[in-house]
Amino acid sequence: MTERTFNRVSPLQDVAVQGRFGADRGAVGVSFTVRHPMSIITVIARAGQGAATAEALKGYDAQWAGPDQWFVLAEGRGEGALYRELKSKLSGLASVSDQSHGRVIIRIAGTKARAVLAKGTPVDLHADVFPAGKSALTQMAHVGVHLTRVDADTYDLSVFRGFSESFWEWITEQAEEFGYQVI
Amino acid sequence: MLIPCPHCGTRPVEEFTFLGDAAPTRPTTNDPSSMEAWYEYVYLRNNPRGTIDEYAHHSGGCRAWLVVQRNTETHEVYGAVTARAFASRKEAVAKGEQA
Amino acid sequence: MTSYRLDKGGLIDRESALRFTFDGALHIGRAGDTLASALMANGVRLMGRSFKYHRPRGVITAGAAEPNALVELREGGRKEANTRATMIELYDGLVAKSQNNWPSLNFDVGAINSLASSMFVAGFYYKTFMWPKSFWEKIYEPIIRRAAGLGTASKLPDPDKYEKSYAHCDVLVIGSGPTGLMAALAAARQGKRVILADEGARLGGSLLNEQEEIGGQSGFDWSQGIIAELASLPDVTLMPRTTIMGWFDGNIFGAVERVSDHLRVPDPYEPRQRYWKIHARRAVLAAGSEERPVAFGGNDIPGVMQASAMRTYANRYAVAAGRSVVVFGGNDSIYRTARDLRFHGIHVEAIVDSRKDAKADPGGVHVIRGAMVADAVGGKAVKSVHLTNGMHINCEAVAMSGGFSPIVNLACHRGKKPMWDANLLAFLPPDNGEAFTVAGSAAGKMLLSECLADGAAKGAAGGRAIEAPRCRDEAFAISPLWWVKEARAKAFIDYQNDATAMDLPLAAREGYSDVELAKRYTTTGMATDQGKLGNINAIAILAEATGRTMDEVGTTTFRPFYTPVSFGAFAGPFTGHHFQPVRKTPLHDWAEEQGAVFVETGLWMRSSWFPREAEDWLASASREVLTTRGSVGICDVSTLGKIDVQGKDAGQFLDKLYCNTFSTLAVSKARYGLMLREDGIVYDDGTTSRLAEDHYVMTTTTANAAKVMAQMEFAHQALFPDLDVTYVSVTEQWAQMAVAGPKSRATLQKLMDELVMTDETVPYMAALEVTIMHGIPARLFRLSFSGEHAYELAVPADYGSMAARAVMQAGEEFGICPYGVEALSIMRIEKGHVAGGELNGTTTAGDLGMGKMVSTKKDFIGRMMAQRPGLVDPNRQQVVGIRPVDPSHRIRAGAHLLKKDDTPSLANDQGYVTGVAWSPMLNMWVGLALFANGRARHGEVVQVWDGLRGHLVLGEICDPVHFDKENKRLHA
Repeated sequence: MTERTFNRVSPLQDVAVQGRFGADRGAVGVSFTVRHPMSIITVIARAGQGAATAEALKGYDAQWAGPDQWFVLAEGRGEGALYRELKSKLSGLASVSDQSHGRVIIRIAGTKARAVLAKGTPVDLHADVFPAGKSALTQMAHVGVHLTRVDADTYDLSVFRGFSESFWEWITEQAEEFGYQVI
Repeated sequence: MLIPCPHCGTRPVEEFTFLGDAAPTRPTTNDPSSMEAWYEYVYLRNNPRGTIDEYAHHSGGCRAWLVVQRNTETHEVYGAVTARAFASRKEAVAKGEQA
Repeated sequence: MTSYRLDKGGLIDRESALRFTFDGALHIGRAGDTLASALMANGVRLMGRSFKYHRPRGVITAGAAEPNALVELREGGRKEANTRATMIELYDGLVAKSQNNWPSLNFDVGAINSLASSMFVAGFYYKTFMWPKSFWEKIYEPIIRRAAGLGTASKLPDPDKYEKSYAHCDVLVIGSGPTGLMAALAAARQGKRVILADEGARLGGSLLNEQEEIGGQSGFDWSQGIIAELASLPDVTLMPRTTIMGWFDGNIFGAVERVSDHLRVPDPYEPRQRYWKIHARRAVLAAGSEERPVAFGGNDIPGVMQASAMRTYANRYAVAAGRSVVVFGGNDSIYRTARDLRFHGIHVEAIVDSRKDAKADPGGVHVIRGAMVADAVGGKAVKSVHLTNGMHINCEAVAMSGGFSPIVNLACHRGKKPMWDANLLAFLPPDNGEAFTVAGSAAGKMLLSECLADGAAKGAAGGRAIEAPRCRDEAFAISPLWWVKEARAKAFIDYQNDATAMDLPLAAREGYSDVELAKRYTTTGMATDQGKLGNINAIAILAEATGRTMDEVGTTTFRPFYTPVSFGAFAGPFTGHHFQPVRKTPLHDWAEEQGAVFVETGLWMRSSWFPREAEDWLASASREVLTTRGSVGICDVSTLGKIDVQGKDAGQFLDKLYCNTFSTLAVSKARYGLMLREDGIVYDDGTTSRLAEDHYVMTTTTANAAKVMAQMEFAHQALFPDLDVTYVSVTEQWAQMAVAGPKSRATLQKLMDELVMTDETVPYMAALEVTIMHGIPARLFRLSFSGEHAYELAVPADYGSMAARAVMQAGEEFGICPYGVEALSIMRIEKGHVAGGELNGTTTAGDLGMGKMVSTKKDFIGRMMAQRPGLVDPNRQQVVGIRPVDPSHRIRAGAHLLKKDDTPSLANDQGYVTGVAWSPMLNMWVGLALFANGRARHGEVVQVWDGLRGHLVLGEICDPVHFDKENKRLHA
């Protein structure tokens, strides 16, 4: 089946305006990018199939999202394509639900990224305990966040679509003291 | 207060929603003669001074239901297991008592 | 001489010139000053008036415990009352005002209270203003509140921002004096993640204030070397200007960082304060000790201060507290005070040592042994002192030292009490285990060498240790000195509350000898300083008055916060539009284009109505109903909770959750479900569709979406863990719109790619997966809340607005209009469909007329308890319709229903109106109500009594379905 794409409108389209904001002293502390459009699939293992599902997800960008539960991500796939692929591949092993439109991923990167995130989450983000590749489910500014460390200074924050604008306003405000750039 | 979530690691209590005493067990029968047991399950709770097992939902995290053991007097938290593990432990104890 | 600034020394920048005003008068201070030191340097000693007697007061301390020099800092929205002048870092342009005086600080009418002071003894308010009762609220309280009190709060909004943040560390060290620096260094050299916090503007603690020798250098130089090493380590965080104000469960510490309080206005984008929650694996309290005042007459006159504070002003701020000083105490520290003052060229008239066997002063100052200061004499400044031996000494200032109290507050925040040490004459901190140890003088170590060693040991905590440097120790020997009973004037115990030494024996005589009762009775230990200076003296006097030991009296309870915390810090950034997050639906942009007026529903913004031209809400909603029922309307229903339920046992699981059955539902069909709580009361309702054998999608009400999800998680994980089922919220994945009205099918047909919509292909309660608009995946449900032939169309959220616009275009020929929750609500009341007003946590399935839905063939949540006699009593209130007998009358939601001839009263209550709407179809107000045994009473005329609004009309009980009783339109 061919993968078809349609014009997806990001809920942050009018909010995440490119440019430099906040304190204007030297290099910016962080940058923000809205990762959109994305394919985001929730995979939840059926009873007793946790290990088998994890095995089957090898090779995918699968982030831990709870006990026996993952978010599988991809860029550049057609509408529903990754969902259909996983549904067929994981048939009998896991439940698969498309969340591609339901969640928005905001990427924050830079030397002050950890300091900005510490204003919201109680999760200890020291590299010794929260290394690259690790994910956590937490709350920031009363919004549920799926937080993933991408590399030393880069994190992805996945939130429900409906909260994304409110969350964007809050987190960019927290970065103002360091100066930030929207890419 | 910190709760050691078996899935997420140690998190502050603000991320959790407490439901109360986890000791009562839902009766397994709908027989009319079981009404008293149902009444006890739904309404009667002890309020112990000391150790208690309590249901806690990690609503601000992995959304798992846990059973947190803590001390109502000292606020010490002894540990937390998943509600699922707690249920099977209770079941095992009940079977042991029957045998 | 108007300047008390010393010619040299001090940690101030003499090149700087910071202009500030106090009560309108312009002064110049130096960078490094506090407001208190700058005022003293300018010869200002009178800084405030006391709480009750309006006595003139000056500075007593040089730190956080200051009870007297409380000022209003800044102006307008930034005004901050009761701010300790000893903690305010001076900045250029600072504006401060004295408090609690009228008309001025120098001449205060309220000081007459002092003359009538016999009236104001402890318990005075309770005794005097008891009668007549009605006088309290109207007369006494307003007068007392005006006369007594401190500063006033600003009524303007605070223009500054506040932040919150979390921090994590292996070791938190509280206090950066010699002990804290050693503790931090020991931990840091082990590679630990260390946070070193200090309330001061600069790290160094007492080493900034005292003349010490450590490791062959001055204490100050030594401290700077250690701080530089700590600052160079990546896992060490230094936090000056940060007060650890509470110790909480889980070894979490609350802290307030004063990011910008030392500036006139915060830098752009900087917060004023930041509230920290610090998760510490372990912590070391190195908060030092507080010097106790002595209760002698006039011990509050400006110029009387803690001896250690006087040293600090001289050593750190290069300010003399007076040109001539009497040093008074009962311990060896008075000799170092005399030494330091003389070092700075301040004349020491005499040392008054209460101990008979006191030695000579090594510096040669005249020592008066075995005597005490009975009274300080003076008005707005000290002029002299009277001693107990009859001597009279002229002086400008008195340095007093009653002893040292370890600052144990934080160590007692979780309930343990400190213990009295009769040798040190100090309460020592309780043992809290390894997670929170106390070191240095906070633990009763009174020698510098002990502090350094203790800090090193507690910082290392059994790990690799470091050696403490050598240092010079000051002598420490002490004898009790609390209250000089020979005093003729008032001897204050608690300065801030104007509680005197006499008040405590009085409290004991009147039956308030328990320390907690004495506190409330005398007000000792209350208000912003919480008795930091006076409490131990109060306990000693209480002990003596009642013949108990210090331990037997004990301390009052130490509670957070150590020092006052601003409301702004607690609120953090969560004010204004960040008070709570806003949740927008995927159709928000579309609704905005259509001119929607939004309403907050929980966190959601929902389109409420879509006014055209000058329509008000009722005209708009009525038109929306008429258009929908007459042709077609479209409504955003995306906020309904949507939960994807999958797995082999998904049907069985839904059977447990709902009182009716879902395992028998055919694929591609939807069914209405009613969910109960375990106590048998209705919890939620909604439709659930079966998309495949092992795949359902459940909907919940908007309000209960999160709660139902949590209930499902509980049911599965705690009650029925053996079921093979998974569930996840997909609420946000779908933009969902109701398209309702006789032309709904014709409208939607235009969007369908392949589906030909007929009653056969899309029968009532169908649930289909389709594609629309050339390939967009969508779900089509034939459901109706309006009672019309209607559908719900769900598309992936990013396509929502586009799809809604396409529906509008398709329906244009039929005159389609968008409708909001107001029109939705009108139509559901016209149709008698229950919603939040009826699913209100008190009703059963039977009450709602859905008793037949409740299965008797299976176990489900709520099954057993729903059978209890009280829940099946026929006299329970049941859902009925209500309409006015005279169609021109209006009935109101919340009105109570009474039998036609009963007197309006709640005793005669038969039920109440749960929801009303103006029905444009029926041209009258109609409503739903809960009414006793209501189903058997259709046709009965009742009184509809709205006692709150004083409104009474006659109404008729009827079937809840007001419109289209035969449901013809649903299938049209």
